[in-house]
This record gives sequence, structure tokens and C-alpha cells, in this order.
Amino acid sequence: MRILSILLIMVLASAANAMEPISFNKQIRPILADRCFACHGPDSAQRVSDMRLDQQETTFMELPSGEFPVVKGKPNESELIHRIVSDDEELKMPPADSGKSLNKQEIELIKQWISEGAEWNQHWAYEAPQHSPVPRPIKKWQQNNPIDLFIQARLKQLRLRPENSADKETLIRRLTLDLTGLPATVEEIDHFLNDDSPEAYEQVVDRLLKSPRYGEHLARSWLDAARYADTHGLHLDNERSIWPYRDWVIRAFNDNMPFDKFTIEQLAGDLLPTPSLKNRVATGFNRCNVTTSEGGSIDEEYYVRYAVDRVETTATVWMGLTAGCAVCHDHKFDPLSQKEFYQLFSYFFSLTERAMDGNALLPPPVVKIPSESQTANQNRITGEMKQQAELVRKILAESKYTDPFSGDDYPAFEKSDRIWFDDMLPAGAKPAGNPGPWTFVEGPDHPVYSGKNSSTRTGNGLIQHFFTGATDPFVIAENDILFAYVYLDPDNPPETVQLQFNDGSWEHRAHWGADKAHGAGRNNASNKLLGPLPEVGKWVRLEVPAATVGLKPGAKLNGWAFTQFGGTVHWDQAGAMGALQLSPQQKESYAIWEYFLKTVSTAALPDPIKKLVAVEADQRNEAQTKQLMTYYLENVNPVTMALLAPPNQKQAELKKELDAIQKAIPSTLVMEDRKEPRVAHILERGEYTEKRDAVESAVPAWLGESPVDAPQNRMGLAQWLVSPTHPLTARVTVNRYWQHYFGTGLVKTSEDFGVQGERPSHPELLDWLALSFIESGWDVKQFQKLIVMSSTYQQSSRITPSKHTLDPQNRLVSHGPRFRLDAEVIRDQVLAISGLMIPTIGGKSVKPYQPAGLWKPVGFGGSNTSVFKQDTGEKLYRRSMYTFWKRTVPPPTMSIFDAPNRETCQVRRTRTNTPLQALVLMNDVQFVEAARRFAELVVTHGGDQVDQRIVYLYRSVLARNPKPNELQLVTQLYNEHLAEFQEQPEAAKSLVSTGESVRNESLDQTELAAWTMIVHLIFNLSETVTKG
Amino acid sequence: MNEANEFLKHVVTRRQLLRAGTAGVGSLALQSMLAPDALAKQIQSSGLHFAPKAKRIIFLFMNGAPSQQDLFDYKPEVDKHHGAELFKTYDEKTAKWSTDGFVKKTQRLTGMTSGQKGFPVARSKFKFKQHGQSRAWISELLPHTAKIADDLCFVKSMHTEAINHDPGVTFFQTGHQQPGRPSMGSWMSYGLGTENDNLPTFCVLISNGTGRPGSQPVYTKLWSNGFLPGVHQGVQFRGGKTPVLYLNSQTGETVDARKRMISRIEALNQLQIDTFGDPEIATRIAQYEMAFRMQMSVPEATDISQEPQHVLAAYGPQCQMPGKFAANCLLARRLAERGVRFIQLYHRGWDQHGSLITALSKQCNDVDQAQAALVNDLKQRGMLDDTLVIWGGEFGRTTYSQGKLGDAANGRDHHPRCFTYWMAGGGIKAGFTYGETDDVGYNIAADGVHVHDFQATVMHLMGIDHERLTFKYQGRRFRLTDVHGKIVKPILA
Repeated sequence: MRILSILLIMVLASAANAMEPISFNKQIRPILADRCFACHGPDSAQRVSDMRLDQQETTFMELPSGEFPVVKGKPNESELIHRIVSDDEELKMPPADSGKSLNKQEIELIKQWISEGAEWNQHWAYEAPQHSPVPRPIKKWQQNNPIDLFIQARLKQLRLRPENSADKETLIRRLTLDLTGLPATVEEIDHFLNDDSPEAYEQVVDRLLKSPRYGEHLARSWLDAARYADTHGLHLDNERSIWPYRDWVIRAFNDNMPFDKFTIEQLAGDLLPTPSLKNRVATGFNRCNVTTSEGGSIDEEYYVRYAVDRVETTATVWMGLTAGCAVCHDHKFDPLSQKEFYQLFSYFFSLTERAMDGNALLPPPVVKIPSESQTANQNRITGEMKQQAELVRKILAESKYTDPFSGDDYPAFEKSDRIWFDDMLPAGAKPAGNPGPWTFVEGPDHPVYSGKNSSTRTGNGLIQHFFTGATDPFVIAENDILFAYVYLDPDNPPETVQLQFNDGSWEHRAHWGADKAHGAGRNNASNKLLGPLPEVGKWVRLEVPAATVGLKPGAKLNGWAFTQFGGTVHWDQAGAMGALQLSPQQKESYAIWEYFLKTVSTAALPDPIKKLVAVEADQRNEAQTKQLMTYYLENVNPVTMALLAPPNQKQAELKKELDAIQKAIPSTLVMEDRKEPRVAHILERGEYTEKRDAVESAVPAWLGESPVDAPQNRMGLAQWLVSPTHPLTARVTVNRYWQHYFGTGLVKTSEDFGVQGERPSHPELLDWLALSFIESGWDVKQFQKLIVMSSTYQQSSRITPSKHTLDPQNRLVSHGPRFRLDAEVIRDQVLAISGLMIPTIGGKSVKPYQPAGLWKPVGFGGSNTSVFKQDTGEKLYRRSMYTFWKRTVPPPTMSIFDAPNRETCQVRRTRTNTPLQALVLMNDVQFVEAARRFAELVVTHGGDQVDQRIVYLYRSVLARNPKPNELQLVTQLYNEHLAEFQEQPEAAKSLVSTGESVRNESLDQTELAAWTMIVHLIFNLSETVTKG
Repeated sequence: MNEANEFLKHVVTRRQLLRAGTAGVGSLALQSMLAPDALAKQIQSSGLHFAPKAKRIIFLFMNGAPSQQDLFDYKPEVDKHHGAELFKTYDEKTAKWSTDGFVKKTQRLTGMTSGQKGFPVARSKFKFKQHGQSRAWISELLPHTAKIADDLCFVKSMHTEAINHDPGVTFFQTGHQQPGRPSMGSWMSYGLGTENDNLPTFCVLISNGTGRPGSQPVYTKLWSNGFLPGVHQGVQFRGGKTPVLYLNSQTGETVDARKRMISRIEALNQLQIDTFGDPEIATRIAQYEMAFRMQMSVPEATDISQEPQHVLAAYGPQCQMPGKFAANCLLARRLAERGVRFIQLYHRGWDQHGSLITALSKQCNDVDQAQAALVNDLKQRGMLDDTLVIWGGEFGRTTYSQGKLGDAANGRDHHPRCFTYWMAGGGIKAGFTYGETDDVGYNIAADGVHVHDFQATVMHLMGIDHERLTFKYQGRRFRLTDVHGKIVKPILA
């Protein structure tokens, strides 16, 4: 039967041919492109002769041999024909070793094309869309707008009829799922059914387009294209914070941002004349690519890979162009040359980003994005802090300090080391290391600073040994300077050494050398940079003033860590150097304090004050003298400090509040260009080491020139893409929207509009849609409305046998769309129906249920996403687009239903039907929990009778009433389940306890369990997971 | 409506699908029902392109890159020159290479050792002996493997392009260093379809090494279907009560109850077919039946309680600890027996940059007994003839020491220029060694086998012409071997 249907189509197709002349673009170019272009096409490196069939000129040009590839009207004189019909192995084309061949029918087509005069045109997609006349309406068929005229003209031609409009229940379900990704509620359905006015349908459309759910739903597919995710994607696969970009996309759709603006902001928002914070957030689009920080990776290689990914993504999303082919060589099928690829590459090659993401949450460049209330609070607090500072100044001015000490009979101060551990760890210490435990080595074969041994470690990346749990804590005293001795192996030095101190938290760190330690990029108390790497091959004393790592007098250390990045390092003797303290009385003297600083330690002072102390008293200017005195009065002198205590106290509280707010402000990755652009080169075979000619940023001109004033940067690229004459942007975009509603685009290969892509099923309609979209000012919502208002969209999705034969994939749209819902919609639907869904829009991603032990067995031990910690409460029930997306282990319920892996740009999802999908729907806790929660609603809202409840259930899930035979069957099933659960109350209890949400205890458990089974059954129906 | 119903019986029915499944119809055919636009194509028992030598593959992937110098690629010259500088130096003025040193440093090193001051040649700390009639060199770390030397074919001249793990493993499994392409197992599933109708075609089993616990991640992209249809995705089998995700019902229903649920789903779905005439509904019914059969067959396949004592003893005590490498080897044999086409094991922890002596010993101890038992077990069951067993990692390790020579903490860095694989069974020469490295084990001296050559050869053994198994995506016909790959004929039996 299948074969028969294919035959039928071929018969129909050739019947059409008999009447119409051969179309080069429709019939001939696809054959040439597929079988010939690889060697006789755009790729200059692969071209084996001068014969080139992708260009008009060369197709008809005389060859060096004197022959002509194609002679118009004369197949027998055309070398092309000679070659493809030849029996001679040497001459026959395509050659046997290419694995390609032409069948008889194809050869006949080519002959016929030449006989008819060998008409030649440019590939359709590279010419600007054309206005063609809108077909005349066909009588008695329903037409709502020009979409219907184009679609119906084609149907008529093939002697098919459109289907009648679907019933209202089907329509509202279809429409609500399509525009919001959620089901219609029973109330919404009733409202629509009860509204007989001609505008009823349009009113539903308008209502849905205003729903904030619309923006979420449309954003979701865009995020597939943008390869959005919550981790970096390579090796450690640590968390990344770029969700504010995701929220920007949702908002852009909800605000109906015109598509041209949407384009410019994402590709070049940072290059607008005065970019707003939002404009910059939008540029996250091209920071969503996967990045690495794998030890040993080579920067240059990754700069290239990132830029290549950005070109491929941008070209696919806006132009349906498979630019990736031109990384290594000229594109084999489309005119994109390798040089043109690297000209595009150049736009993305000069970011300020670093090749290694540092496994950081926020690898720069990033921006902070406070909410309005956060900004307001910050302003309020800084205002109050100023007032308090003013108050302090006033008190100081009035205090009139005089030094009680005079003369030069200063007290004596001494420094002394308090050793905490040497050779042996402190009592109670629990030693640990990663990887592997502590290793102690002894002299004289190994370096030892004091005592018998030293501890040592060799390895790659960030490695360490440490202990916690010392039972007799090491108490920090005022002015303490922590120390440890270190020896770096001259043959294998590390890149970084770090000391970490634990007083209950490890957020007290200092490092020397490269910024590759724990807390990299911070340079504050949680990882202070204290200098370059110590000299190798000798013991060096590392000193860390306790105050600089946030350890206040009285802090109790129970743990200590020796950390390094790579190399071989020895460690020995550690403790703190303390100084005799100033007595409170001595502190009342400025002179004694200064003497103390000069003779003992300035370690506890902030850097600027340290510098002032270093200047001899008589060398300080007036301002410096005053500054030092003010510091003394505010921080040292007990008398003045007592006076200042109230405002200082207040100040500290304000500071704390401010810190909390600032910490809560989210940040996100953005684009930013280097001041000095990096020069891009053509790379031979795409190898970063094989640089050839330098190139500058430029657009491939065969797709249209840049607008006159366009700058030569990403902004210029964006402006070129949305210039109204660009042949691809609008077509590619409207085609993706079409695909959203009908399952398949007018161009089925929505990622490839090139020569190897499929031709549009309705070229005139595609052009009409593209031009309408541009003329509307790229109005996205208006475009969605245009589609759903068409009678084509509103047809019944019934598939008659003849249509299954003649239009098996519904490419002619001879019936309404019918296909399985996307992964996210399948889950969101049951969350919504069961009332579990939390409607919050945006924010940090969440971790709902997933089977235990998915991340740990595969993840890198040191990754911050190696352990999955499921969220609880509301976070379990957010829409699926907010589920935390770990790229190396995506949420399985999403992948099983064909969600892409978000590692690369994806504009078309596959749609499969597999047993694993059945397992998810039957066994995933989320679906069972939603079933039991919805069962509660069935009991409480569905009426008293079983059949009433079944009606409520059907209407809530499927938006329709059950048919009599369904009602009968389901009633019978319900009664069976009820009887069983009455016999097994324990089974009932277990079922209605599934999931973490609370149960309505007032309901009968057995009855609820029976309804749960029924709901769960309905959740598993094909119809439930299908848009019909 | 009746018309539609009648008609559908002719197009595709559940029964037809099932019949197709048991008759071994290839997945290309199955896919045509799952994705209606796919080209239907029946695969005969004669193979996709020609008669296969192997019907299934068990790929023991040693994630992290085991050190070939310490296991198989024995170099007496290195013993002699232990501690000598490996690299020659280049004099810009005379434009000559120094006479001391063994090899020219012309390639890139990873960032982990590129800053090292010297590159001393490091001999293996382990003793090597020749084993079997084939006289294969195997180190003392693999005593059990040594006993099956005559069943193995060693390829000592493997080489790859990547120098870091993530791109390296991805390249080996998908033929491309960047994520997004289908994995080997998916290609096999796509090309050959399934041999059974109640287990997945492509299964993945993961174990953690004791040499470097928690080190060297694996990623789902390594068993991803890429752009191929989702049915070709690898299905991860895990230790514990739920070997396949979502296999068990939340409430522990009985088999009968589950059966009834599915028959009810079918009954209601059938009413929908009558109304809408959508063949996808029939497919969904078939998938529920397959899911049900998996719920039956997976627990059966993973239950080793009926394995005789001598088999358990052969694999060693860890074969009874779910999730261990030995347990995965035994499970691999059971899956192979049940017609699973591609069984991919990953054993983690082979990245010995430091503490090589202790860590490598532990890694070998994890795998040695069980992998030898697996080959023996297959052989005793007559399955080795049409089962291909493959062993190896993503690249090799350097002949020079990472870290100071003689230091217990030293190890070896990544080395893409040469490494060793072994294979056994289906269509491969037994007791054979192919390829050579130079005297210091740094470069290939003869018969290099690139990753794409390896892939082409494995596909050949499975009856697939690697140049002809293609999938058109984004306007290009993709292959596992890209535009490369030569079959390594000398190793074919």
C-alpha cells in the first residue's frame, strides 16, 4: 500500500509535468546538486575539472576540450548527457566510486530540460521574495485570508478538497495548546462554546495572544535555536548563569517586540548607541554556546571553535544556511566560499571572553541586572549610609583628640610564631585530599623544612590535601599573620598555590600565582591574591594576615587546606605569627599605635592606610595626616570608638543589608568586543593552527549588499540580516512559525534553505507570508494571528484514506495539523490540569523530580553539577522550560520526548514514538502525582455521579465529552478499580501518596485511588499527547 | 469511519508491526512507521551492504586513556634510556636538530606538560612477558588477559586527533570532536535495526574506576542519536532496582495489573483510530506493548541469580555487585545473548597523570579478570564467532614522565600519536598484532590506524559499508567516518 501510494504520487507528479515545462529549480537543480556539485560545484578545492554546473555561465561555456556541458535545445550535443548515459567506466558520470548514480527517469528529465531550452535560474532562496498574484477563491470553500487561497489552489489542482472546520472543542484545544503550550480550562471551553457570535474565535485568539503564557511558549522553540542551557556543556559541565537571557526572550515575545529589533538586540545589542541593560542581556544569544575549561586545552583552538559555533548558529537561525560546511572548504552545494565563512567568523572572533570558562558560574563578560525594587533599595541604603558617615564626621570634628603620651619612651613589642602543626596534624583532624590522601615524605631525598617530613602532592588541575575537625581549635588573635612553608619543585612547578582556612566555612582563602584556585576571579577575603608564585626550588614562607581573609580576632580554625594547580608542591610547618597586643590604655595614644605599626605589623590595616604608615610622619601632607588620624580615631582609640559606636553600628547594619541585596542581584553572560580586534584568518581545513590569508568582517554579497551606513561589526551584520531586501531572513522566520502550527514548514528542511534543502511546498505562499511579515513591520503576534485565523489552520485533522494516500505527510495541508505534543507541553499539560502548576515567570532554573543517581555516575567528581539535589515545594511544579538543563545529562523526560540536547543550534525537532515514552507516561512520578491531584479535582469539582465525573475528566484533559462507548468503558474500569482498592486499602494509600504535594485528607482514599488510576489512564492516551 | 478502519488494517497495524519486529526487520523499516516520511528499506539477513562477520559488538571503553607503555606496548629501548631527554632540540642558526634525544618535538602538547622543563623518557615500572603461542607482550598488571592472548588481536598503532578527554572520547564515539553527531551505537542501530523485540538495540553500561574515583566524566552525548531519529539513542542500563529509567511503576503494580492498564489504553486508543484514521495511534499502541515487554524482559536480563557458580567465579566477586565493571561484563554477555546489537561499557578513571603506579594497578585490577572471563564465556557459548569485543580508550599516554622521574607522584600525559587497542571475536584475526610504534613508543613506525579507519573496519565487520551508511541532515550526507576511513584489511580473519 505504501508503495502504491508512492506510485500514485509519482503518477500525479508526472501528469503535472506533461502539462508544464520542466522547472530548473524544482526538478533539475536538486538532481545536479545532489549528484554532481560535490565535484562540479562551488568547492574550488574539490572541483576536478573546469566543468561547473552550479553557475549559469559555466554550465553553457565551452570547455578546454572544445565540448559544451549543455547546449540549449540539443541534448545530443551536450557533454553532460554524453557522460551520464555513457557505458564506458572511464567516462560515466557520476563515477562508480562516488557511490552516486542517476536513474533512468532522472536522465530523461535532464534530457527533456535541455530539449526545452535549458532554462537556468538562480536557486530560488537566494533571490528576493516576489509578490505573485493571489489565487482566485474557489467557490463554496471557506476562505478567511490569502493563506487559504494559496493552499486551496494547490489542493484543487490535485483534485483534493480541504476538510471542514474542526468542531469548536477541538479548535479551542488546538489553539490554546499552540499559542500557550497549555490546555484550555473547562471554563474557557464553556465560554467559547456558549459564544455564538462570529467573533468568538477571534476573541479567543486575542485573549491567548495577550496571555503571558504565549511568550513562554514561543520562547521555548527560540531557546532550542539559541542552544540555551544552564551548564557550560563540556568536561566539568559546571553551572552557568544565563537565565536572565531566557527571561529576556520570553518578555520580548510577550511585548511583541518586532522581529527586526529582536534580531538586532540579540546579535548586537551591546553595539547600540547607548545600550540599555536589557539590550546587553539580549546578546546572551551568542554566549549560550558550549564552552570548556578542561585542563590542558589550548586557548587558540577554543577561540576558533566558539566563533565557528556562533557563525553556524547565526546562519542557521536567520538564513537557513548550513554555513558549517564552509569551515573546511568552499561549500559543496551552496555558493558560500570558505573565505566568506571566515569573513562571517571575523564578526564573532573578537570578544573579550576568555577561551577557558574557568568553570565559573559567570565567565566574563557579564552584567548585573538588578530588579526595580533592588535598585530602589540600593539607592535608599546608600543614602542612609551617607547620612551616617556624615554623622561620624561630625562627632569626630567635635571630639578634639589630644595624645596622652609624649616623649620617646615607647614600650617594647615582640613577634612570635605559634605553630599549629608540623610533622603531625592537630588532634582530631580528619585528613582528606582530592585526588587521594595526604602523602608525607622524609628527607634527605625530599625537601623538608622542619622536623621529619613534609607533605607533598603532584597532579593536574586543581588538587589539594586538607583536614577539618581539629578538636582543639586554633584561635585567631588580633594582628595575627597565618603562615605556612612551601617548596615548589623547579622541574614541575604549579601554576597556583593556595591556602584555605576553615572556621566552619572555607570562605577564607589566599593564593599566589595564576588565578586558578578555588574562588577564582574573586580576589577578596574568599580568595585574596597575595602575590606571584613563590620562588621555586627553595623553602618560602607564605604569610596571610588573618584580617585579609576575613578572619577576625576570636575566630576558631578547625581546618586547613594546601591547594595547588598542577605541578609538584611540598608543604611544611604552619601556624600563625602573633604580636603582643596593645593594651586599651596604649590604644588611647596615637603615637604608641603608630610606633606599634612601624615596629611590629601593619598587616591588619587596609591597603591605603598601610601605604600612609609607610610614609615618614614628616613627609605626609596635611590630607594624609588627617586621613591616618581619622582612621585611628574610628578604628583604634577606644574613647572615640565608643562615641562612634551608635552610627558605626547602624552603618554596619546598612552595609549588611546592602551586601545581601547585591548578592541577590542576578548576573548574566553578554557579548562585548575587544578594543583591538583579533585578526581572523582563513583556516586550512578548519584547523586553528593552519592560518592562511587574513580576512575582515564582511557579509556574503551574493545574498545582497549591506545597507549603506551599516558598520563593519556585528551591528552591520544584524542590520544586513533584517534589511527588507534580504532574501532569506523573513522566509526562514515565517517558515519556522508555520512549522510551529503545522508540524512541518513550507520548506520542510527549516534549517536548510540551500540547494540541498527541500523546495517549498508552496513557494508563492512562502513569499507572500515573508513579504507580509516584512510589510507589517516584522509584527510577530500579528503573524501568529494571520496563521491561526486561516481556515486552513482550522480544518479538521481527520485523515481520510484517500488523503493518507495522496497527502501522507500533510504537506499540502489537506487537513488540519495533527502531531504529538512537544516534551515540555506534555508535562506542562498535566501540571496545569492537576492544578499543580506554579505560574511564576522566569528566574533561576529549578530541579524537579528526576530518577535518582543520574548525574553522579557520569559526572566529574569536581564538578558543581555532579550531584543532583532535587528541589522541593513550588520549584517542583514550574513550567518545563524552567527545568535546570545540564547539558551532559539533560532531563530524561525531555530527551525521551525528542527535546534537543541544547549543545548546538536546533530549529526543528524530530518527533518519534518510542517505548521509553510509554514508560515515562506510565511510571514517572510526576505523571502519577498529577493524576492523583487531578483525581481530587474530579471528585471535588466533577459532580457526584461517576458519569458526571468522567465527563469532567474528559473535558479537562481532552476538551471534549466522552462518547457513549468511552463513557461505558471508563465507567466499567472505574468500578473494577474501586472494587480492587476496597479490597486492598494499602495499595490505595500508596497510590494516593505519590509525589511530594499534600493530599486532600478529607477525601475517601479508595475512591481517590480508583479515580487516580482512571486519570492516569487518560493521561496515557494517544489523544492526550497529540494535538488534533 | 469504517472505511478508515478497514484501510488502516492495510497500512499498518499493531500486529503487522509486531510481526515485523520478530522477523528482524531493520530499524530503517521500523522508522518508516515511526516517522512516516522515512524511506522503507528491508535489511536481509545477508547484511545491510554485505554479509556481516559480527552480529553484535561489546565495546569496553576505558575512559581516560590507559597507558599503553605500561600494558601492551613494551619498549626495551626505553628501559635502556630511562631518564634520557626525549626530545631533540632545534638550532635555529644551523637549522639542524640535535643528535641527542629521540624524536623531534613538532606537535602540540597539552597545557598540562607543555611548560615542563624536561621530558625524560620513563620506563614502565611493570614487568612484561610474552604470552601464548602468539607471543604477545603483556604486562604483569593483566594476568588474566594474558591467558587469553591467543584470542586477541592487538592494534598498537592507533592514533587520533584530539589531545583532551572531552573532544577525544566524543571523536571516538561520534567521529567528530564537537558534540551533536550520532554515536557509533546509534549508527549501528540505524543501519542494522534490532535483533530482538523486547530490549533496546543499543545499551550503555557505566562503571567507576578505583584508580581515580570520580574522575573522567562521561556524557549522554556519547550515546546520543544526534540527528538520527530518537529510537537509535543508547539506553543506559544502571545498577540497582531500576536498570532502565522509568522501568518500574511508582506503585509496584503486578504484571497483570500493568497488562490490563495497557490493554485499556489500547482499547481507548483504538476508538481514536476509528475516528481519526491516524496511523501514529497504531504505532503508539505498539510502543506500549514494547514497553510492557521491556518491563518483563529487562528484569529477566539483569537477574543473574540463575547464573551457575563457575560462571560467577570466572568473572570474580565484583560481578555480583551491580554497577561494577565485572557486573557490567556479565550483563553485557546476557544482553548479547538476548540480541542487543551494540553494548557499550564505559569504565572511568584511566587518566594517570600522577601516581601512575598505584592508580594504574587499581584500574587493571578492576577490569582484568572480568574482561578475560567475558571473552572466555562468549567463546564457550559459541558466541565469540559473531560477537566483536573491543577494548581501548580515547588516546594513549606519553612515553615521557609527567612530573619528576622516579617520584611516586609522577605519571604520563595525554598522547594522541599512538596507543593500543585490542579486539576479539567476530571476523578479527586471533592471536595477531598489527602496527608498530618506534623504539621509544612515541610515533607510529608502521601501519597507523586512525580512529576513522577503526570505525570503518568495525562497520565493515558488521556488514556495513561505512561510505554508504549516510544520513542527510542540514543538506549534507553525514557518515560516522566523515569523509575518511580505510578498512584495516590485515586484521580481518
